[in-house]
Amino acid sequence: MTDAFVTGVGMTRFESENNGSALELAERAAWRALSDAAVEPADVTSVHVGNMAAEAFEGRTGLENALCGALGVEGAIADRIENTSASGASAVLRAVHALEAGASSRALVVGVETMTAAETEAATELISRLVHDREYAQGVTLPSFAGLAADHYLRTYDVDPSALAEVAVKNHRNAAANPYAQFQEPITLEEARTSPPVAEPLRLYDCCPTSDGAAAIVLETAPKADGIRVASITGATGTHAVAERPNPLAIESVERAGRRAMVDANVTQNDVDVACIHDAFTILELLELEELGFYDPGDAWQATVAGETALDGRLPVNPGGGLKARGHPLGATGVAQIIELTWQLRGDAPEERRVEDPQAGLALNVAGFGNNAVCTILQVP
Amino acid sequence: MTRDVPTDHAFVCESCGNRWYYTRERCSKCRSTAVHSYQLREGTVVTATTVHATPPGVRSPNRLGMVRFDGDVTIVAQLGDDSSAGDTVEFGSVTVLREGDRSASGPRLVGLE
Repeated sequence: MTDAFVTGVGMTRFESENNGSALELAERAAWRALSDAAVEPADVTSVHVGNMAAEAFEGRTGLENALCGALGVEGAIADRIENTSASGASAVLRAVHALEAGASSRALVVGVETMTAAETEAATELISRLVHDREYAQGVTLPSFAGLAADHYLRTYDVDPSALAEVAVKNHRNAAANPYAQFQEPITLEEARTSPPVAEPLRLYDCCPTSDGAAAIVLETAPKADGIRVASITGATGTHAVAERPNPLAIESVERAGRRAMVDANVTQNDVDVACIHDAFTILELLELEELGFYDPGDAWQATVAGETALDGRLPVNPGGGLKARGHPLGATGVAQIIELTWQLRGDAPEERRVEDPQAGLALNVAGFGNNAVCTILQVP
Repeated sequence: MTRDVPTDHAFVCESCGNRWYYTRERCSKCRSTAVHSYQLREGTVVTATTVHATPPGVRSPNRLGMVRFDGDVTIVAQLGDDSSAGDTVEFGSVTVLREGDRSASGPRLVGLE
């Protein structure tokens, strides 16, 4: 159990193309979070920016210091944290560590990415470089791993591909009620099932989009009236080369981070009322729910089809639309998950996507295809 | 010494016999640097996919397989045919796997006739 509380949140809409720079988007989200927390920049004692590749996407270095200058934060500890697609949650983790260590009492965390600032080919090449060199030589990409896992899952458990499409339909339906989501239109099962193939059996609607956006939170050690406690946050690495895992469906980093987070927060799966899961691909939502122990191996697809992970189900998953439909600006995603949980736990989410009276929420942010995972549990104090 | 071995070679630790494919300088089990490479022979496809959205310099579509060899050495590599889960495969003739600044050549895996 930590003594860190989320006291303010704010984000930009995630978009397929935003003309703002990473600094501009980060600043916009930061002001919204500071305003929500009623905190002045001069009172911030540490700033932690989650960002994967601003230097590569738009030639920006020193983003954390530029942000402090833009906000008027002076004399604070400031750093930028890079953990590929889990950079956001890793920045939250760094902030909580700073608070727990007494090095900071009021932390501002900003996750940001402007993926469309680079040409599509350059962005694709950049992201494909996070795999092992021998995987890179074969042209392996993250969708490739997802396709391999999906093929194995469907065959192992004798599942129809429409079960994957159900994940996409659910998350797009949730995003339709989220004004910050990149996609705000529901899709049909048929649209998902007939969209162009990307990495068979996965299709376009099984994959998250390329996104621009920023998300920010304020963390404080002194609780406020509507502050949400960070019950626990922790991370775990997995293998770098995906094929070195003993089981193609195992993501050990997720299992370890989830287990540790639940132990640290003194909760079980049954105590979690809402979850934000790293659904960069539909198959990942299923695998991660199983690795986290919410479902036995091979059961998450049935639960999804049965509506258990829908807003009114037993365990609402990705009420804000997830990476799939809210969008996935790499460094911003992990922070956006915390924002969604905070809105849900404060009862601030729009009624159309509000989970009924949640007391605890879990967020899972994953780097690469499970190279690293960060799990956070938030609770109403 | 492990960086430039052919793509159809794996590594074995001379001290403890541990085997692996994904390059590292030391054995992950006993930390020995006494390592030599060896050529992979026949393997079994565990799972496969055909990727249609490929990076620059990579063929499209790109059929890939996760293939398990003796000693539980498992790799992801390009397939030269429609081999799928359960099929036995071996390395074929050398071809270009990837073009561009970081080009790579090596054999693709093909089904045993």
